[in-house]
Amino acid sequence: MKLLRSFQYQVFLLPILFFYTVFTVYPLIKSFFFSLTNFNGYSKEYDFVGLTNYVKIFKDAAIVSGISYTLLFAISTTILTTLLAIALALVLDRNFYTKNIHRAIFFFPSIPSGLILAYVWGFILSPIGSGVLNTVLHDVFGAGPQPWLSEPMLAKLSTILVAVWAGAGWHAVLYLAFLQGISKDYYEAASIDGANRWQQIRSITLPMLAPAMTISVMLLLTGGLKVFEIPFALTKGGPGFETHTITQVIVLRGISEVQFGLASAMSIVFFLIVLALTYFQVSVMQRREEKML
Amino acid sequence: MRKSSYMLLVVMMAVTLILSACGGNGNNENQAGSANGGGAEADKKVKLSLLSWNNETEMKPVMDGFTAKYPNITIDFQTAPPVKDYISKLQTMLLSNSATDVFIMAAENRNELIDGGYALDLTDQPFMAKMTDASKGMFTREGKTYAFSQAGWVGGIYYNKELFAKVGVTTEPTTWQEFIDLCIKLKDAGIVPLYDNAGDISTIQGALVASLTLSADPEYDNKLFAGETTFAEGWAKPLQLWKEGMIDNKIITSSMIGLTGDQIVNEFAVGNVAMIQGGPWNIPAIEKANPDLQFSMMAIPGIEAGQEYYAGAPNVGFAVNSKSKNQDAAIKFVEYLSTPEGLEQFEKGTGQIITIDGYESKVHPALEKAYKEGLLAGKFYLPMVSWPRHQEALRNQLVVSVQDLLVGKGTTDDVTKALDQKLKEMESK
Repeated sequence: MKLLRSFQYQVFLLPILFFYTVFTVYPLIKSFFFSLTNFNGYSKEYDFVGLTNYVKIFKDAAIVSGISYTLLFAISTTILTTLLAIALALVLDRNFYTKNIHRAIFFFPSIPSGLILAYVWGFILSPIGSGVLNTVLHDVFGAGPQPWLSEPMLAKLSTILVAVWAGAGWHAVLYLAFLQGISKDYYEAASIDGANRWQQIRSITLPMLAPAMTISVMLLLTGGLKVFEIPFALTKGGPGFETHTITQVIVLRGISEVQFGLASAMSIVFFLIVLALTYFQVSVMQRREEKML
Repeated sequence: MRKSSYMLLVVMMAVTLILSACGGNGNNENQAGSANGGGAEADKKVKLSLLSWNNETEMKPVMDGFTAKYPNITIDFQTAPPVKDYISKLQTMLLSNSATDVFIMAAENRNELIDGGYALDLTDQPFMAKMTDASKGMFTREGKTYAFSQAGWVGGIYYNKELFAKVGVTTEPTTWQEFIDLCIKLKDAGIVPLYDNAGDISTIQGALVASLTLSADPEYDNKLFAGETTFAEGWAKPLQLWKEGMIDNKIITSSMIGLTGDQIVNEFAVGNVAMIQGGPWNIPAIEKANPDLQFSMMAIPGIEAGQEYYAGAPNVGFAVNSKSKNQDAAIKFVEYLSTPEGLEQFEKGTGQIITIDGYESKVHPALEKAYKEGLLAGKFYLPMVSWPRHQEALRNQLVVSVQDLLVGKGTTDDVTKALDQKLKEMESK
C-alpha cells in the first residue's frame, strides 16, 4: 500500500513505458547486439565479430562523405530556417488584413511529406533546358540551363534551400505562438522610454523568444541530422557520394547490400552523434535562456 | 523523485529482458512447428497465401483463373511495390516465420533466399521443363532451380524516327562508330541526341561489356566471382570506349545526373530528345504522352556489325516457401502459371512478355525486333542478373563511380579499381 502510494502517479505512465520499451528500447538494444555480429538480415546463422563493424565504418568512403554532408545540411538548414522563421514570425505577428491567409500559405509546405515536396522541386530544378527554373532564367535573363542537381556544390545548395523552404513556415508558427504570449505591456513601457522598433525587438522580443529558439533549434538539428527524404528524392545522393546522408548510407548498407551488422553499427554511432550534439545544443541554449532573462 | 526515476529505469530494463526472452522462445517453437508441413488433401479447403510485387489488379486475372480451376483453394493476396519495399517486407516475414506460401524471387534477393533455405527446390517438377535455359540460370544454384519464371523483358535504345529522318538517317546504326557519328550529327543539328541520368548501370555499358568481353569469354562473370579475373580485365575497355564516345563527345553530360526517369521518358515522348534507354515498361507512358510518336527500339551496336546486344533479363520467378504448410497448393499455383491458360491470364494482367517455349507473346510493334532478335535469341545481358552475388553493392558502386567520372572526378581505371575493391570487400565480409 505504501509502495502503491509512492508510485501513484507513475502507474499512469506504465502503458507508455510499455510501448516505449517494446518499440524503442528493445530494438535499440537488439541493434547494438546485431552491430557486434555479421548478421546479414536474412540468415539466422551469424557470428560474433566484435568491433569489426565499428572499425569498418571509418574506412567507408560513403559514410565519411555522408557524415560531412549531413552535418553541413543539419547546421545550415538550422541557421537559415531559424533566421527566416523568426523574421517571418515577426511579420506574421503584425495586424494586417490578410494575416490568416498568409499564415496558412507559409504553413502549407510543412503538411505534405518531404518526398512529395522534393518530387515537385525535382521538376522545378530539373537540370535540362525545359526545367521550370531554367526556363524562367532563360526567358528573363537569357541564361543557359544550370545544373541545379548535378553539380556537386549546386546540388548541396539546392537540397538545403528546398529543406529551408519546406520547414520555415512550421517553425515560424512555433515562434508566432511564443510571440503572442509576450505581454504588450513591455512594448508600451519601452516606447514610453523612447525605444525604437529595432531596440524593442533586440531587448524584448528576442530574449523572450529564447525558450522557443531552444526547442526549434533542437527540432531542426535532430531533424536535419536524420534527414532522408528531400536529398534522396532530389538527387538520390548524387552526383557520386556528394549528397549521401547518413541515413541513406545506413539503408544502402543494411537493405541493398545485406550487411545488417554493419548498418546496425552505423546506426549506433549515428545515435550517439545525435545524442551528443543535441545534449550539447540544449544545455548551451538553456544556459543562454537563463542569462537573457 | 530521483529514487522513483531510478526505479522506472529498472522496470524498463526488466521489461526489455523479459521481452527478449520471449522472442527467443517464440523462434524455437516456430522452428519445431514447421517441420511437419505439407500434405494437403485434394478437396480440403486451403487458404493459399501469396506475396507479389505485381499489384492486385495485375494479378487478378491469373488468381481468378486459378481459383476457378481449384474451387477448394482461396488466395490470400499480399503485395509490396518493387524493389526495396518488396524485399524488406519479405525479409521481415521470413525472419518472423510468417512468410507467405508463394513469394517471388528477384535478382536482388535470390542469393539470400536460396542460401537461407527459404525456397523449395523445384528442379524435378514437370512444369519446369517449359522454362527456357536463359531464364533458369538466374534461379539455379548447383544444378537446382528454386523458382519458376515465365516471362522476361528486353531493353535497348528507343529512338524517334522523325528526328532521325531530320538528319537524313533512315536505318539503325550497325557499328559503335556509326552510332557515335549519328549522335554527333544530331547534336550538330541542334537536337539532343540522348538523355541518361546516370542513376543506374546504363544499358549501353552493359551491352558493350557483353559484346567486347562476354562474347569472347561467356564464363567471364563466373570467373570474376571465383577470383580468377577482375573488373579491370573485363570492364576497362568497354568503359573506356563508352567514355570516349559518350562523355568526351559531350553526348552524355554531368548536367543530366539530376534528371528523373519520368522526365526522361516525357522529354522523349514530346520529341525533345532523339534517343533514350528503356524497356517495355516505358511504352504506356510514351503512348499516353504522345500517341502519334513514331518510335522503335534498337540494339546497342558493337565494334563491328553483328555484335549488337540488348539489355534484358528473365522476369522475377515464383518460389514456394520451403516451410509452407500448403506446399501442394503452392506447387499447383506455380504449375498453373505454366499452363497456356495461366500464361494468357498472366500476360493479360501484367502485360509482360512471355518467354515459355511454344507460347508467342503479342508485343508492341516498337519491340518486335528486340523481342525476336534479342530476347528469344538470347542476345541480351544485364550485369545485375549475371553477377551471382553482391549485385546491389556492385551496382551502387558503379553508379557512384560513373557519376564521379561524369563530373570530372577520376578516370575509367578508378571505376574498375573501385569495383574490384568493392567485390573484394563484399567477398571477405
